[in-house]
Parts: sequence; C-alpha cells; structure tokens
Amino acid sequence: MSKKKRTEGAARKPGQRRISRVFLYLFVIILCLVTLYPYFVMVSYGFRSQADIMSENVLPSKWMWENYWYVLTSNRSIVRYLLNSIFIASGATGIAILCGIPAAYALARMNFTGKKIFMAIIVVSQMFSPVVLLVGIQRILLTFGLNNSDFGLILIDAAFNQAFAVWLLQGTFRGISPEMEQASRIDGCTRGQSITRVLLPMAAPGIVTTLIFIFINAWNEYTIAFVMISDDKLKPITVGINLFNGYNMIEWNHLFAASVFATIPVVILFMAIEKNLVSGLTSGGVKS
Amino acid sequence: MKREEKAKKKRGVRQVLTPYLYLLPSFLLMVLMVFLPIITVFYRSMQKFSKAGKIKGYAGFDNFDKVLGSSKFMGVFQNTVIWTLAVVLISTLIGIIIGMVLNTEFRGRKLVRAVVVFPWATSLIIQASVWKFIINTDHGALNALLLKLGLIDSARNFTSSPAAWFAWEIWVGIFVTVPFVSFCTLSGLQSIDSALYEAASIDGANFTQKTFRITLPLIKPSLTVATVLNIIYVFNSFPIIWAMTKGDPASKTDTLVTYLYKLAFINGENGQAAAVSVLSFLFLCIVSAIYMAWYGKGGDNA
Repeated sequence: MSKKKRTEGAARKPGQRRISRVFLYLFVIILCLVTLYPYFVMVSYGFRSQADIMSENVLPSKWMWENYWYVLTSNRSIVRYLLNSIFIASGATGIAILCGIPAAYALARMNFTGKKIFMAIIVVSQMFSPVVLLVGIQRILLTFGLNNSDFGLILIDAAFNQAFAVWLLQGTFRGISPEMEQASRIDGCTRGQSITRVLLPMAAPGIVTTLIFIFINAWNEYTIAFVMISDDKLKPITVGINLFNGYNMIEWNHLFAASVFATIPVVILFMAIEKNLVSGLTSGGVKS
Repeated sequence: MKREEKAKKKRGVRQVLTPYLYLLPSFLLMVLMVFLPIITVFYRSMQKFSKAGKIKGYAGFDNFDKVLGSSKFMGVFQNTVIWTLAVVLISTLIGIIIGMVLNTEFRGRKLVRAVVVFPWATSLIIQASVWKFIINTDHGALNALLLKLGLIDSARNFTSSPAAWFAWEIWVGIFVTVPFVSFCTLSGLQSIDSALYEAASIDGANFTQKTFRITLPLIKPSLTVATVLNIIYVFNSFPIIWAMTKGDPASKTDTLVTYLYKLAFINGENGQAAAVSVLSFLFLCIVSAIYMAWYGKGGDNA
C-alpha cells in the first residue's frame, strides 16, 4: 500500500514541478515589477516636462535629458548637497569605525566583567531613534556649540550607527581564528601590531561591509539633518532636495531627477555588500 | 624579588584595564550623543517651560498629565500601534515568503536578489515622496498606468479619507521593510543543512510539513533579531508619514514620532514633547520585552 503511494507520488512529480515552476516565475516577475515600479516612476518622470507630468501617458512624450542636466548645473544645482552628503556620511563612517574596531576587538577577544553591560548599552542605544531624542539631542548640540553644524550631524550619525559597527565587526572578528594573532605575539608583536598587521587585513571584507552599510545609513538620514541644519550651505541631499518642493507647487520632474542622483549610487553600493551584510547582521551576536 | 612582584602587579592592573580602554571611544561616543540626550529628555519631561523655551522649574508629572489628557493623544497612540503592528506583521509574512523563494534555484535569481535590495538602500524620504506622487489623483502615475491598461476608465481618488492615506503610508512602510526580513530569512535558510530536507522527504513529509517543522523553527533565531529591530525602527519611523501627510488632517495620520516633532518644533511645547519621548521609550521597552519573552520561550539562545 505504502509502496504504491510512493510510486504514485514519483509519477506525479514532473508535472507538479512544472506547475510550481510557473507559479514561482509568476511570483518573481510580479515581485520585481512592483519593487521596481517606484524607480521606474522616479526615472521616467524625471525626463518629463512640467506639462507632461500632468498627462496620462505612461512614458514621457518627449525625453528631456536637460532635466537631469538642470539639477546638476543650473543656479539651483544639487552638487553642493551631494558633496555635503559625501562629507557627512564619510565623517560619520570614519568615526563609527574608529571607535567600533577597538570595542569590537575587546568584545570578541577579551574576557572582562561588564561585557554584558556594554552589550546592553548597545541594545538600548538602538531602542531610541534620533527622532524620539530630538529634543534632547538639540539641547546637547546647543551646549557644545554644535547646532547647525555638519560636525554635530556627523557625531550623531556615528553614535546611532555605533551599535551596527560594533555588532558587525565583532561578528567578523569572531569568525577569524585568534591563532594567527597569538603566533604574531609570540614572534614579538605588541597587541596593537597584532591587530593592525594581522587581524585587520584578514577582517577586511567584513570591515568594508560595515563601512558601506554605515555610509549608506548616514547618506539616507533625513530627520536629524532636517531639524538641526538650517544653513542651506550645509544641507545633505536628502534635505536639500526640498529645493524643488516649493510652497505653491512641486517641480516633480526636477525633484525626481535629483532623487535619481541621490539614490542610484547607494543602491549600487548596497548591492555590492548585500550578501556579507545579511549574514553579519544575523550571526554577529549568535556566534560564540 | 619585591620589585619583580610590583612589576607583576602593575602588569596585572594594565591587563585588567586594557579591555575598558578599548571600549572607551565607543562608550564615550554613545554616552555623549545617545545617553546624554536620553537623560536630558527624561529631565525635561518633568520641567516647566516659559513661552521662550526656558526651564522655569520642577513640574512633577504635569507634562504627562497634559499629554495623556489631550483629546488627540489616544488617537495618535492607536495609530502608532496599528502602524507598527501592520507594517511589522505583514512585512514579516511577505519577507519570509520572498526569502524562501529566493532560496530556491531558478534562472535569474541573482538579478532578483539585486532588485529586492532596492527599497532597503533608498532614502525613506525619497521613497515616500515618489509614492505620494504615484497615488496622486490629478496626475499620479498609478492612475495613468491603470487608465492605460484599461483597468479603470476615469482617474480614481486613492486617498479620499485620512484612513486611506494612512493605509498607503502603511503600504510604503511594508514596501521598505520587506527586503530586510527577506534577507534575514534567506541567510537563516542558507545555514540549514539540506540533508534535513532529504531525510524528511524520504520519510514522506510534504512541503507544508517541511516548512513548519524544519524551515520556520530553524530560521527563528535570525527572525527574532530581525523582528525586534523592525519593531523599534517602524515604531520610530518619521520620514514616511512626514513626507506623505505630515500627520494631517487634525492628527488623524500622526504617530507618536510625528506628533512629538510637532509638539516640540511647531507648537513649542517642550515639556510635553519630552514627555511623549519618555512614554514612547517606555512603551517600546515593554513591547520588546514581551516579544522577547514570548518568542524566546522556545529555548533558543539567540
């Protein structure tokens, strides 16, 4: 009886498999179409004239490359905002990593009392978003004279990404056997040398992943910059883009053209690290 | 002999101190930029303020009374719960399915993985602005598309009520949250030994049984982390609602974060804004703790 059933199952398999394949591809195609739709809108409406935006055509009636040119080169250029974003995101990433590496090293390689407390601090720092703390952050920045400054923004972005830095880096360090470092210590390296010459080069892929991830987070940050930076010269792209979001009317074509410049570079960066990042995020704390 | 002992002791002290020195920069950064603001917010939630925003003295729980007594607060709180629950639950479900699909072999899988990453890497404020345009009644892209496809014959108003706006905001929230869950699921799945499935197949297990008996229990640790992070992020999310409705009309689409922003920076209610911060934090602590306790019961060491 059971034997019969099994052969039946085997006979049904090819047909069944073909049907499930069809469903699989259908699902994947719909998934891609839906996911890419807003990007299609962003790019294609960026090519339209102001009048064409109102039309019911799905594609632009005329492809206006000059919109993309306009947002870069006119007197309302977004290049300054893009440069500000690069500066702020790089600064935040640098500080987050420089503070994160020694902390992650201590967590991965040393035993000491208070380890659990430090881990708890990291978790709690993630419970707050900068938005919930806006009022407090503003006070602190005022106290240090850092309000309306890009350095203040850099410090906040670095601090709120510190958890990711420590988390991802300690996961990376734990994945590397300590034997090489121990051997270098026996050969006369100081601890610092064993870190910079042995551990860090081996951890390079994980460090690059962490760098890019924090860079993207800082690049995409909106709320703190929106509240803290009032000087137009210092605004990052996420805030500066509001240039085309006027009081009376929104210049959708220019807004979208500028959005494309703000989006595409980080999407490409993200695709490069996606594989490493996810395993790092989920395993960083689990491995031991 | 004595000198040697002293040196040994000195080295011992240094050994004990080293880890803390390594932690110091990270610790200082977080204390200055995260924990000082936390303390400031707690302190300010119990102070009286002048119109100009200067502290006038101890207020006890007056600010909390005012916040909780406000006619808008319960609605805003309810919105926050709906927003968080809907976005986290639905994106977790969709994300698990997508993660499982991405784990099967098919042509073009790499391409699909790259596409799924897009919303994760895009600034929320830009994503939300695009969707605001898409659903616009007069010249939105969705109306244009549906008209072209012949699915409707005149432009629809997709946002006829505050509830409709809020639903669209939830949709955008799901849209940007799904990739994270998908990839966490995927990474959990890839660590599962395929021999388990083979053994189950030989024993006659069907797809559903394999999913619920093998797949889901084994990806639970990665999903627990993902879900806790999502609860926190979604709860605290500001840009989507701000870009699409600014919480209007009359706070009908506000969540605690946008409400808090308006209290602090538009109405100048410093004390009440700080009180909302404290309440949000306490609420988030309770929810996370309940979730961890409830989910961790299975005996996982995640």
